[in-house]
Amino acid sequence: MKNKILFTLIILFIPFLVSAKTDKVDLYLFHSETCSHCQAEIAFLKTLDDVNVHLYETTRDKKNSELLVKVKKKLEVNSPYVPFTVIGSKAFIGYNDTIKDLIIDSVDELKGKEYRDVVGEIIKTKKVREDLKIEGIVIDANSLNIPILGNINPKKVSIPLLAIIIGFVDGFNPCAMWVLIFLISMLIGMKNKKRMWILGVTFLLTSCIVYLFFMMAWLKITIQISSIFIVRLLIALVALIGGIINIRSYFKSSDGCEVTTKEKRQKIFTKIKNFTSSKSLIFALIGVITLAFSVNLIELACSAGLPLIFTQILALNNITGFLSFIYCLLYIVFFLLDDLIVFIIAMVTLNVTGISTRYTKYSHLIGGIIMIIIALLLVLKPSLLMFNF
Amino acid sequence: MKIVKFSAMWCSGCLVMNPIWEKIKKIYPQIEFINYDYDVDEDMKEKYKIGNILPEVIIYKDDKEVTRIIGEKKQKEIIKIIDSL
Repeated sequence: MKNKILFTLIILFIPFLVSAKTDKVDLYLFHSETCSHCQAEIAFLKTLDDVNVHLYETTRDKKNSELLVKVKKKLEVNSPYVPFTVIGSKAFIGYNDTIKDLIIDSVDELKGKEYRDVVGEIIKTKKVREDLKIEGIVIDANSLNIPILGNINPKKVSIPLLAIIIGFVDGFNPCAMWVLIFLISMLIGMKNKKRMWILGVTFLLTSCIVYLFFMMAWLKITIQISSIFIVRLLIALVALIGGIINIRSYFKSSDGCEVTTKEKRQKIFTKIKNFTSSKSLIFALIGVITLAFSVNLIELACSAGLPLIFTQILALNNITGFLSFIYCLLYIVFFLLDDLIVFIIAMVTLNVTGISTRYTKYSHLIGGIIMIIIALLLVLKPSLLMFNF
Repeated sequence: MKIVKFSAMWCSGCLVMNPIWEKIKKIYPQIEFINYDYDVDEDMKEKYKIGNILPEVIIYKDDKEVTRIIGEKKQKEIIKIIDSL
């Protein structure tokens, strides 16, 4: 009888023992099929013997992405990126050689020992148990430890960097510079210096708002449709054609101002003269706002390629809401930088200085190259634009 | 020698060239400089057959047009052109 009882106890406890002291460690990898780093990590994990690898593709399977949200909530991780690897209560964002070594170390550390399997818990209990507070250790592959600056996440830096570069290049756009210079020339002639500043700043602010509105609206559309390959192909085509046109105009255009049609020029000159000489500030403000609105719509058509590409990259990285607003604002600050420089120098010195059209030529070349590179990446290797390290 | 210059108040390239032409005037006090505004001096624009790239500069020697400088140029380049005539 004694033997029977002993035997029953062993059977009861074996599963508990196995799960606590199993020789194989459970590893959970949340990934996406277009992410090249995910594929690299999956290939690496196949070489490990002591690991039960659980794969969760998060872009096609809603259940998987919901599980990912629960796990990230438990581990207090707000990074939206994959690959996202969890072993016990340790999580790794991204994948590189450092993470690879850390995974090996973690597996060796947990093998044959008792450990909290956070993801396993959530899967079994279908919910996040709040009572068991854990110290989730999160290692972000993307962060680099740079002396003085400390922990910098290059992924978080690359999109703002792109906003600065593309915005700056987009800013050297000849389409509307002549209007701004003419407006400034008229403003400088005004006796009322306060009104001069008000009208000038209003022009620049309206330009900023128009561009921001366009970029945010375009981003909203792109986010919905950018996962459709055909749409990405179309955007890539627009970028490619835009790039070729830009490079062509680098070689074709001369270092001077191309004069637009007389009617168009006269129409804008008359408008500007009317409201800068008007007695009523309200009328002048309305005039400068409508001018900025129409001029920037021309600008958009003239250089729509670059903002289009930038918003496409935001869409690819699933950046929405307030963060996307900040990135678009950053883009526009650098887009308006040359206008700001010309404006402030003129307002302070009461003398209009121009910016050499050579910069416009170089911006055509650089802008064109950027557009072609991104166009090719959009089709051939979109994962490289997803900044998942 | 005579130099006829066409520019416009709204043309960024012209604004960049203005200080350069001021220096050239000091270097060559003997040359006659005539300035026209592309929007204001319409008749002159027709007479001198000015294109659609500004600034445009025509150099005359003995009342004969010898060359045109279109767009922005560095000061050295302009001095070289004038000295070669």
